[in-house]
Amino acid sequence: MKKPVYVMACLLMVFFTAVVGAQVKNPETFVLADYRTVQTIDPATSYDVAGSMRIWNLYETLIFFDGSSTEEYVPLLAAEVPSVKNGGISADGRTYTFKIRNGVKFHEGGELTPEDVVYSFKRNMIVDQDGGPMWMLLEALTGKGSTRDKDGKIIDGIFEIIDKSVETQGNKVILHLPKPYPPLMSILCYTASSVLDKEWAISKGCWDGNIKNAAKYNNPAPGHEPLQKIENGTGPFKMKLWEPAKQFVFERFDDYWGPKSQIKTGIVKYVKEWSTRKLMLQNGDADRVVVDTPYVPEVRAMKGLTLYEVPQLGYTAAMFCRSINPAGNPNIGSGKLDGNGIPPNFFTDINVRKAFLHVFDRETYKKDVFNDLVIMPTSPNVEGLPYHKEVPFYEFDLEKAAEYMKKAWGGKVWEKGFKMIITHNTGNEMREAGAHMLAENIMSLNPKFQIDVRNVEWKDYVVKIRDFQYPLFLSGWGADYADPHNFVYPFMHSNGYYGRFMALKNDEIDKLCDAGIETADPAKRKTIYAKLQDIWYEDAIGVPLYQQIVVRAYRDYVHGFVPNAMFTDDNEILKRIYKK
Amino acid sequence: MLAFITRRLLLLIFVLFGVSVLLFGILMTFSPERRAATYVTSPQQAKDIPKIIKQFGLDDPFYIQYFRWMKEVLKGNMGWSLVASRPVGEAFWNYFPVTLEMNLFAAPIVIIFGIWLGTLSGIHRDTWIDHTTRILAIVGWSLPTFLFALVLLMIFYGYFQLFSPGVLSDQLTMFIIDNPETFTRFTGMYTIDGILNGRFDITLNALAHLVLPVSTYVIVVVALNMRVMRSGMIEELSKDYVMTAQAKGADKKTIYIKHARRNALLPVVTVAGQLVALSMEGSIAVEVVYNRHGIGWWLAESAVQLDMPVLMCICLFMGVVFVITNLTLDILYAYIDPRIRLN
Repeated sequence: MKKPVYVMACLLMVFFTAVVGAQVKNPETFVLADYRTVQTIDPATSYDVAGSMRIWNLYETLIFFDGSSTEEYVPLLAAEVPSVKNGGISADGRTYTFKIRNGVKFHEGGELTPEDVVYSFKRNMIVDQDGGPMWMLLEALTGKGSTRDKDGKIIDGIFEIIDKSVETQGNKVILHLPKPYPPLMSILCYTASSVLDKEWAISKGCWDGNIKNAAKYNNPAPGHEPLQKIENGTGPFKMKLWEPAKQFVFERFDDYWGPKSQIKTGIVKYVKEWSTRKLMLQNGDADRVVVDTPYVPEVRAMKGLTLYEVPQLGYTAAMFCRSINPAGNPNIGSGKLDGNGIPPNFFTDINVRKAFLHVFDRETYKKDVFNDLVIMPTSPNVEGLPYHKEVPFYEFDLEKAAEYMKKAWGGKVWEKGFKMIITHNTGNEMREAGAHMLAENIMSLNPKFQIDVRNVEWKDYVVKIRDFQYPLFLSGWGADYADPHNFVYPFMHSNGYYGRFMALKNDEIDKLCDAGIETADPAKRKTIYAKLQDIWYEDAIGVPLYQQIVVRAYRDYVHGFVPNAMFTDDNEILKRIYKK
Repeated sequence: MLAFITRRLLLLIFVLFGVSVLLFGILMTFSPERRAATYVTSPQQAKDIPKIIKQFGLDDPFYIQYFRWMKEVLKGNMGWSLVASRPVGEAFWNYFPVTLEMNLFAAPIVIIFGIWLGTLSGIHRDTWIDHTTRILAIVGWSLPTFLFALVLLMIFYGYFQLFSPGVLSDQLTMFIIDNPETFTRFTGMYTIDGILNGRFDITLNALAHLVLPVSTYVIVVVALNMRVMRSGMIEELSKDYVMTAQAKGADKKTIYIKHARRNALLPVVTVAGQLVALSMEGSIAVEVVYNRHGIGWWLAESAVQLDMPVLMCICLFMGVVFVITNLTLDILYAYIDPRIRLN
């Protein structure tokens, strides 16, 4: 008789513990449930959105975006934002001078000096890990996008160039650029420009400060960078605990130089399953959860939430490859224009490209796929970027599409028909819908047109795109910094990431892209980027699909969030957040 | 007995070598580009794929890559897990206790309930008890674990706000972080560490977090054990020695429990042993839905992301688990059935 009583008692205690646990909510703790993992918190190697979120709260940069603006800045570790007007930026755009703020402490007690800033810039550029973010600063400060050549060998003299690119002068730090680089200010807000404590970093095994030894510290294997899991920044939060792929715990830094955060503890939990995240938000166990677009209607139906719609600096397009690799490639069928495939240069004919552009029904796509919660772009220079302009787009018109198809390849396309594959990466429902829309509308023009839509796991997808395997592929790009160069170059230049794999070769575009980044004069840049946006339309380079608007779902007692198009929904500037 | 155990343990070396060569060979069927893409998470990083191939020698011949890996393993370096963002060995000992803790609670329930329900069903063959247990078993076995776990989570956590996901409440987690000197993580399992540290509130809280995962696992898995036990009982009860015992007037309890059930246990031990061994690689659905970061979750993520060092580590670990399980089962057979001799 006693045993069942014990069992019942234990069960009741477990039950009671669970009830009590669910009711206690801590007003000084902010919990974010996300599903992206952090690889590293070393500012020199972190190059993903989850890592950036951690670093932006732990470390600080010289300047940062002013509220929602992507073009205006506020000083952080710099005492003021340099400009041509205040003499911080030289008239030729090649010298930037930053006065360094006094009285700033690192988490472990050290005081910020201009030497720390110079060391940090040099050390971060020296590290330059493969697949890392340092290409941005290297491009701006050395004129080269890497410390190594294509074969992975260190470029002669690169470390000496790095050494000369940054220097101190009293309480100032001076950046010397080989040529004007307009996006520099935006790059200086990125985590790769975070400032470290020199002595501390050296004591932890980072570059020893001697440029002759730089090669030893170059390109560490992932996980072998000394600052992969430790930090000592000046940010408003310290790292209290990091259990990779489980949770990351921030603790308020009470010696922070600026206004102290009202939040004492910030927790980012890794919660893969959406239903679990949603229930955590519903029960108040999470103050915010990351919401993917398909789940937006679910959070809209929930009570007790505040939702923010934040347009993102990102661009997704369907891209035509003009020189498809025919070797063993099932995506182009027979490889000939015989009704059972397409030739490798199928998309060199602008009529084919225009036909595909005319079958994309922007309005239906916007409404059905995104519930109108999207910006329909017209070129890679999306809304929110400098020099953005609305260029014409190809209206949804099946008759016009048919006309272009009839003209394509001297009428052969219409006569013989074709067979090909459109690809998108697995799991992206928006791209999947776009691919199906293109395929079905093209097939509706002529029964001889056959298109299959295939989804491919993202990493396989990347490899195949690089191998020119896909005739028409849907992919996207997120901003590294808020400048048209970061979008126009990858999508249009013959050496840009997508331009290359679309096999684009257009000297005019290349010259304009190069001129755009080498010109500091805003008026000239406006003309250049306007022309490039026009060319995107005129040359029918690709089908602009969407510029995403993400929905952030907070509990309604959470306040202080400031939307900024540069930040994805993984990001959270904790010092602004408070619960009331 | 000692010679038998030594022989079987020596066999382990060959098993592990075979498993590692086989798995390494399978992974080598992916192109160097595809394996290098493991390190890439955005189009921006993809430009460095050729450099990554060079850096890690991913285009070297199979045997060179295999021996390079083996050399590191023998030095105790299992590699770097991209999924866990830390060394594989360190990550393993972090995730394994989560899986082990759930199994420590789930496995005895699965075995005891399976045997009890199977015995009950076998004794009461074709009665309402048999039909009910069989229907419940079939329903349990047929339930998609992922869906079932979600339903339980929505009812208990979503509706009643009970049994939150994870392994421990935030408040207690913060207490442990803030007081490392007063709370030692001896085993990594909060239910046990709570007792060892004299913090029963932590044990109870961890138990509350185990209720739904263990229930899900037990309901889904118990059916198999129960079915095997039932068949065994029916077979044993139809044998001559049972009839003889009944004719001699032996009481039912003695016949069922002492004779028939003991003989019917042999196949159950095999199945239960395999189930326990399999459970060591975790239940992916249970761990994902209830946000318990154990071996199952780690394996699933690593498989999707082709995190090779992790796949190698878990496969080798499972090789060890199965060899030891089979060894234990052989010893148990000899205990249960004296006719079996180990040599």
